[in-house]
Amino acid sequence: MTFVPMRARALGTQPKTLFVNDSGRFFAGSDAFVERLLQNEPSDAEFAFLRSEGHWLDDDDALGRAAHSRSVARRFTIAGPLDYLILVPTLRCNLSCSYCQVSRVNAEQQGFDWSEETLAAVLHCLDQLPAERIKIEFQGGEATLRPDLIRAVMERTSRFRERQFVICTNLQSIDDEVLAIFDCPEVFISTSLDGDSATHHRNRTHHSEKTDQFFYNLRFIVDRYGPRKVSALPTIDSSAPPAVDDIIDAYLEYGLDSIFLRPINYQGFARKRHKSSREQGAQWRAYYESFVRRIIERNWEDRDRVFEETYLSIGLRRIFRPGVERHVDLRNPNLAGHDYIVIDYDGTIYPTDEARMLARSGVVDLAIGTVQDGWDSETRTLLNQHATNQFDPDCQKCVYQPFCGRDIVDDLARYGRIGLPRHETEFCRRHMHLFDFIFELIYSDCPKIRYSIGRWLRLPTTPLAIGQIIP
Amino acid sequence: MIPLVLPAESEALKPFVTRLRADTGERKQSDSILLDMDATGATYAGEEGLIAVDGATATDLNGDIVLVRPEAGRIERLLRAGSDHNTLLVTERCDQLCVMCSQPPKKTHVDRFDLLEEACLLANEGTLIGISGGEPTLYKERLLTMVERVLVARPDLSFHILSNGQHFDRDDVARLRQPLYAKVSWGIPLYAVGAALHDEIVGKAGAFMQLEESFAHLIMAGARVELRTVITQPNMGELPTLACYVTSRLNFVEVWSIMQLEHIGFAKGRWSELYVDHRRHFEPVAEALNHAALHGVRAQLFNFPRCTVPAAYRAFAVASISDWKRKYAAACTGCTEQKSCSGFFEWHPDEHAETCVEPL
Repeated sequence: MTFVPMRARALGTQPKTLFVNDSGRFFAGSDAFVERLLQNEPSDAEFAFLRSEGHWLDDDDALGRAAHSRSVARRFTIAGPLDYLILVPTLRCNLSCSYCQVSRVNAEQQGFDWSEETLAAVLHCLDQLPAERIKIEFQGGEATLRPDLIRAVMERTSRFRERQFVICTNLQSIDDEVLAIFDCPEVFISTSLDGDSATHHRNRTHHSEKTDQFFYNLRFIVDRYGPRKVSALPTIDSSAPPAVDDIIDAYLEYGLDSIFLRPINYQGFARKRHKSSREQGAQWRAYYESFVRRIIERNWEDRDRVFEETYLSIGLRRIFRPGVERHVDLRNPNLAGHDYIVIDYDGTIYPTDEARMLARSGVVDLAIGTVQDGWDSETRTLLNQHATNQFDPDCQKCVYQPFCGRDIVDDLARYGRIGLPRHETEFCRRHMHLFDFIFELIYSDCPKIRYSIGRWLRLPTTPLAIGQIIP
Repeated sequence: MIPLVLPAESEALKPFVTRLRADTGERKQSDSILLDMDATGATYAGEEGLIAVDGATATDLNGDIVLVRPEAGRIERLLRAGSDHNTLLVTERCDQLCVMCSQPPKKTHVDRFDLLEEACLLANEGTLIGISGGEPTLYKERLLTMVERVLVARPDLSFHILSNGQHFDRDDVARLRQPLYAKVSWGIPLYAVGAALHDEIVGKAGAFMQLEESFAHLIMAGARVELRTVITQPNMGELPTLACYVTSRLNFVEVWSIMQLEHIGFAKGRWSELYVDHRRHFEPVAEALNHAALHGVRAQLFNFPRCTVPAAYRAFAVASISDWKRKYAAACTGCTEQKSCSGFFEWHPDEHAETCVEPL
């Protein structure tokens, strides 16, 4: 008889000690239980609970052993065939946002669009993909400056059984050609919305006619297609964050019911103009918590709709539903250059969009190949040797390891190296905070919190309890 | 009800499988072509001579793959062309005796695997073939050999096999791990956590322990399993405990089907001691569905007419009853959700069905 590998962490919850085993199953135990555990004398009922919940294995329990092995295995992301492309048909942009992450160039400049040869190589690449489904995200620059390239790619994907296109756009200009692309039911639109009009103006558009044009166009596409087709992200300057309700109101005004709350990313021009964004301190985390708590309040007040913070929901699904969440920024191992790649304006291939920005900023070149010559390169192999949290000495002691991920590009961006003790990195601090916060919510007895968690996890009704307890 | 067995005469000396065809296209060796028809039947000609079928029209039968049994004077419609619900019965023997069994077992066994294999090989492109019993794995070697041979020849087909899960052992793991078993799913019942109640319900001592061991092997084989739980008075209250067990120890299952009782077989005679009116006692079902959903185990409700399920849980109630044995109550007329509703079994008492429903 033995415990499966298990780690513990004291939280601000009641009961206080969170236990998580290596398959990610968890419970909270009281101080009295911890004391009994240390004395090796838990009660029969407690052992029965531990056994039935997969924390304790009897020698002859073949099913328990098999179930546990499988549950541990389920925590590892298997990178399937390449079926997700991030394409940058042009680096040109008609806006100049203060924290632009992609190192854009002015709309008039020459030589920053796909050449004929690059386009041909991208189309050839599409023809070679083994998957039956494809997701393509058009990034920029401002991708809609080249609708001809978007269309060429879309037309070449007709053989796929399932297609999804996301066009990331600043919505400054929608001409008939762009509108015809938007009209395709497989196209989704992703834009930036920093909050109310004053904030958006200050951060992004800088000219009142451009601000007005953006909000006019956002209204136009939401009215034309319904909010399901549109998603928006804010970028938030945590040294002067907007009022929480102003942002939520701005999103709800356009029928947008989820928000991916991001602080300024320490990338691209932000490295110069927003130096403080290298570390997101207590100020950002306090803002994030207050934001989520405000969402919970507002969901409770108005039951007709459910608002959510996307990354918190991703964290919840990572905890409760191993193997389901496909978000590429939080997974383990986080294999580079396998199931998704970024193809830049010049045909260079990067493992992630952040890696592209790093190379643009001259920090470190993480290009893994080119669309012409392939990307099964030494750089890719090198990156993937460090793509897991499994053997990191800090992560091995961490309760959240089964839920967490690894992002070496982020480490390189911030520190120029990947060998820092994990808990000294922003990635670790951010996720320790995220999971601490989520478990605080899970073990709250506040009905408003349980209500929102139930909705975010798409449960049929609000459960009486979300996390299990040994009192 | 759509009849699956029809009176028929044939000149053949022994049973055979053929496809009945009403069109005039080129005849394959396995086809029997329509010669003559009237209001009550149809006559076909094929390799084995004439077949005269009573009780169905040539239109009904067109494309059906049938087993012709001259000695019994009938045909069995094994794979009906227009239906998504085709189940082959491979044996009527069983080593459990469940209190609610809808098809009480018989002692005798007639081996028809070779004929059933022929039928499978004739199936339409992409057909999902159900296999049922009795307990199919009592003849595990014959069963697995048939499935493997069919899937090698016809990788487009897939199987769903109902089994009590009493007969998987360590030696099966390597076999069931073969890639072709990705086309096979197993429907296996579990009624309660613990030997006491589960063994009592299935009428076999040691069944629960044996089932746990089988599940361990099925996990290691990467098998696809649909877990099935029929609710009855004895186990209804145990559903939430079972849900915890499923999410912790059986979360490998593709889906957990929670099933309402079928008014046939043993359940018919024991209705008053088994049937639970879920309209009055939905809480244990709700709790189980919530817990399964929380932990990402897909669950579904079988044989629960949609209007009898609280709105928040209605999406779980699927159209589970096969076309040939499904009916709707007169009171269902005008219901907008009938297409996605299970309805009732043909043999469900009308007086009960009529008082249950309320069109949505």
